[in-house]
Amino acid sequence: MTTENITLGTDLSGSGPVEQPRHISQATLVMLLFLGSEAMLFASFFTAYFMVRFNVADNVWPPIDPATGKAFVLPIAVTGVNTLFLVSSSFTLWWGEHRLQHGDRKALERGLLVTIGLGLTFLVVQFNEYWHLGFSPQSQAFGTTFYTLTGLHGLHVIVGLCLLTICYVRARRRREFQPDRAPMLWASSLYWHFVDVVWVLLYFLVYLL
Amino acid sequence: MATHAPTHAPSGPGHDTGHHAPPPLSHWWKRAFVWVVSSIFAALGVTWFVRWAWGFSPLWNYEVYMTVIFAFMGIAFLIGIGCFDYWWDYLRGRKVSYEDHSMHGATSWKDYLRPNTDHKVIGIQYLVLTFMAFVVAGLYAEGVRAQLAQPGENFVNGQTYNGLFSMHATVMIFGFVIPVFSGLANYVLPLMIGAKDMAFPRLNALSFWLLVVAAVLLISAPAFGAFSAGWTAYPTLALQGSTGTTMFELAVQFAGASTIATALNFMVTIVTMRAPGMTVWRMPLLVWANATTSALVVFGTPFIAGSQFMNLFDRVMGTNFFNSANGGDVLMYQHVFWFYSHPAVYIMMLPGFGIVSEVIATFSRKPIFGYRAIAFSTVAIAILGFGVWAHHMFVSGMAAWIRIPMMMMTVLIAVPTGIKIFSWLGTMWGGKIHLKTPMLFAMGFIVTFTIGGLSGIYLGALPSDIAMHSTYFVVAHIHYVFFGGSVMTIFAGTYYWFPKMTGRMYNEKLGVWHFWLTFIGMNLTFFPMHWLGTQGMPRRVSDYAPRFANVNLFISIASLIMVAGTIVFFYNMIWSWAKGPKAPWNPWRGRTLEWLVSSPPSLFNFDVTPQVVGGPYQYGIPGARHAVVFAGPELGGGELTETDKRLVLVVADEAVASASLIEDIRRRSAEGYWRFTYVVPSNPDEHRAAERRLHAALAVLAENGVEANGTVIDAPPMQAIDSVMREDTVHEIILTTYPLGSSDWLDQDLVDRVRKAAGVGLTHLTVLPGEAHAAAASVAVEKVALIANYGIDDAGLTDLVKSRADAKPLSAIVLCPLSLDVPSGSPEAEDLRNEASGRTAILIARLQDAGIQTRGEVLDGSVAAAVKIARTAHRADIALLATRPGDQVEITDEITEAAGTMTVEQVTTDGHTSTAPGASEGR
Ligand code: HEM
Ligand SMILES: [Cu+2]
Repeated sequence: MTTENITLGTDLSGSGPVEQPRHISQATLVMLLFLGSEAMLFASFFTAYFMVRFNVADNVWPPIDPATGKAFVLPIAVTGVNTLFLVSSSFTLWWGEHRLQHGDRKALERGLLVTIGLGLTFLVVQFNEYWHLGFSPQSQAFGTTFYTLTGLHGLHVIVGLCLLTICYVRARRRREFQPDRAPMLWASSLYWHFVDVVWVLLYFLVYLL
Repeated sequence: MATHAPTHAPSGPGHDTGHHAPPPLSHWWKRAFVWVVSSIFAALGVTWFVRWAWGFSPLWNYEVYMTVIFAFMGIAFLIGIGCFDYWWDYLRGRKVSYEDHSMHGATSWKDYLRPNTDHKVIGIQYLVLTFMAFVVAGLYAEGVRAQLAQPGENFVNGQTYNGLFSMHATVMIFGFVIPVFSGLANYVLPLMIGAKDMAFPRLNALSFWLLVVAAVLLISAPAFGAFSAGWTAYPTLALQGSTGTTMFELAVQFAGASTIATALNFMVTIVTMRAPGMTVWRMPLLVWANATTSALVVFGTPFIAGSQFMNLFDRVMGTNFFNSANGGDVLMYQHVFWFYSHPAVYIMMLPGFGIVSEVIATFSRKPIFGYRAIAFSTVAIAILGFGVWAHHMFVSGMAAWIRIPMMMMTVLIAVPTGIKIFSWLGTMWGGKIHLKTPMLFAMGFIVTFTIGGLSGIYLGALPSDIAMHSTYFVVAHIHYVFFGGSVMTIFAGTYYWFPKMTGRMYNEKLGVWHFWLTFIGMNLTFFPMHWLGTQGMPRRVSDYAPRFANVNLFISIASLIMVAGTIVFFYNMIWSWAKGPKAPWNPWRGRTLEWLVSSPPSLFNFDVTPQVVGGPYQYGIPGARHAVVFAGPELGGGELTETDKRLVLVVADEAVASASLIEDIRRRSAEGYWRFTYVVPSNPDEHRAAERRLHAALAVLAENGVEANGTVIDAPPMQAIDSVMREDTVHEIILTTYPLGSSDWLDQDLVDRVRKAAGVGLTHLTVLPGEAHAAAASVAVEKVALIANYGIDDAGLTDLVKSRADAKPLSAIVLCPLSLDVPSGSPEAEDLRNEASGRTAILIARLQDAGIQTRGEVLDGSVAAAVKIARTAHRADIALLATRPGDQVEITDEITEAAGTMTVEQVTTDGHTSTAPGASEGR
């Protein structure tokens, strides 16, 4: 029993011994499955949203806010621009990863930084929106579903930003991630793309529809 | 010595390179304590700040603060106990050693009380924790039965009663049934697929400690005001009530996170870490079951998380998910909840199906019937399971059109479930069934689960459900599928893998008792509930109509039978774990990989990756194998097999070398798991004789390749047995005696006394005295024919044979040839014969007393005739022609011819080998 031939689990850093060849890295696989789980969590809140909207509110949507006597309004234009920020961040991340394929580590770091910057911008704009909306999670089922859906998504953006920051730190400090072996980076970018896709869906279903 | 070091043994020296020993236990718990206490202040501060910054008033709101405090405490505990240490280093950009195994494995019980990355340790942690939850939930159930024993408020009031049944169901479901399967699978699944651990050992540790947090939150909830909305926690009931309800909602989040993490881990492990050769169609069915269950968990559990978040927000934040006055939809809760909780009933059943498939195949000694049918039906159940949730809502007032499709889907699910039942029956059909405890539970499961499935059909059918919804019929259904289903399989699995996990055998007799108490108790308890339900007794109400009184009293009493069974179970488990006989690698002769390594397995399960070469259930197919496990290089790298055989103690006196005893030992030895030690109780006078018998027996066994040894102990039998059992772990005793009447031992009631005192299995074998003295049919024991007439009773002859016997085990045939010169029918002849018989009998008795198997006869005829008979009738190896000193028998041609290939020697009755000329040395 020697340590050398004992290999457990996955190696997030890509510096550990190479395991048996396989088609998909463990980190990618677990992230895909986890995103399935996350999708279902969003689905449960979307279920709430749709039932409240189509079962109870009977298509009068957005409903009247008893506090003001007028229908709720959502800032479609500002959020639309904000959506563009988030969507473009997916592309900057993709670009960084793409450059890494060509061995350009500097570009990876830059790509990560720009992505993180765009993500932060999105958060700030969204927070600002909360501040100025004029209704709260306690305002009718409309406010409840709106805040829980966007809030849940906001939490995911924060988690995604943390993951990207970790990637950035590991890339800079430990010169991690090889073109053919960067499980942590792949997993984090999958997560980030997921957060993006969910937002596009959310923007469409909650703001536009 | 096992070639595999057990989990508990300290790892070899090579293992410590680059590892720092983990800090002592107190380190972790002190840290956890500090974190938890600080988290209370942090929670207060953060909540206060947020409320202040947002301008909430009032600043103080008990429910809100408590919610944040409990959530913070849970997370702080996980940080403090060390679940995140590695990742924390990683995200700070520190150098982490991915190959850091310092938290892996256990050398003492203390290693079970800190985060541990060894799946075997985690499995046991899970099992211990969940069985503790089982006890707690069981006590709540007895509280419920105490209340219902008689109509009226006789034990608790209505409010407390609501708390009792809510806590019972919640702790059972979230604290026992769901996680206990994770525990069993954690232990055996990596072994079964030939992996060294799970894919993410640190995540695995986190899963367990998340469950600890959930369990503590749940179990301490009553201290903060019982949670009393039932395990289904329907709003608006769940929005009222005290802080205990908040704790339930948080506990569900922690437990949910725990199961999701475990499920992800299982799936990745199964997909990426199977041993070479293990194609999906060679995976044991338990692996199939857990892969499917994991998918259900991953995609279903977020829905209960969602539903409890909504409950929590409505409770403490005043949101409006379920508040219809503000546009909320109270029915939505049921949709979201059951969209998880119907699949959840399969989360609680499919792993049990997996266990039962393993157990039934192993104990029927037959390939599983319809392997692919079982695998596919598992997947089918999981998929269909997502399309039937609203059968719990038939009378809820939901849109009416959903009801018929849901009903049809519900009844459809019974089809794949039926396929499994028939597959198990088909496996047992014509098999050689071994009724060990796990098999009893598996068979009991088939019966009770089928009853539960049938009542499910009644509930799935819209018209009957409208009548029986929310009655005791549903309670009967639940318990037939949960207790008769899940819990029976949990017991089956626990007994089945107990030897593997603990390295010790459980007590079979107590196991059987446990089964019958449980099986009878559960049927007596739950079957009458069907009737109560159809008669209209509502569930979840603390009082009932007086006409149900007798049946309810009966049920409450019957439930105590299950309690008795459970006590037997825990006694058996605890006692056997501490003191049970040592388990072999493969007590059930299973084929799957976990049985091909030691019990318990070594630190990293397999030193060399095993190779899978066939299906897992090829029982009874000559030459079929599932997998080959190789030894590490330091053991030569060959195939790894069990070297540690279990000890059978053979107790015998004169029958030591009897043919039937030897045959019995040979038969057992062929199973491959046994070695044998003879103990021959004797006394100083008969010591030598006993030794000679023993040597003869050992020679025969050695020739047959049986691993055996033995000693003669000059002590009474009880004492002799005791002295051996003090030194070695004896697994079984074979006690050999003469039949009743001719046996001193039986007169002393020895069999019962040994059985009581030894506490292990005992086989009593009776041997006829004639058989005990018959010559052994073996080339290892020389057959010596003694041919003599006058002087046959000389002491010298006996001594001669004894010394030969000491040199080499032998059995003797005494032949006394009488060449009569009187008519053979005459009285003189008769006298001569009697005389000769007397002389012969003396020699036979002397030799038998000396421990030499001896028979003999007097025959009319010449020496040559005797020689011939010795060779042909007795198959002697050598004939000794004995004469008195001075006399000489002439070795005639006749004798030489009669002897054939048999050696003939001349000896004198004074005990000297004569050197007479002409003695033939055979040809
Ligand atoms: C043939 C298979 C099954 C069918 C057709 C079926 C059908 C049903 C139906 C229709 C109900 C709703 C009764 C009502 O509330 O009016 C129900 C309740 C329930 N079933 Fe099943 N079932 C099946 C198997 C199972 C299994 C395998 C389990 C778990 C291992 C299970 C666990 C439960 C539980 C816990 C409830 C009660 C939930 C509550 O507290 O209200 N069922 N079943
Ligand atoms: Cu159901």
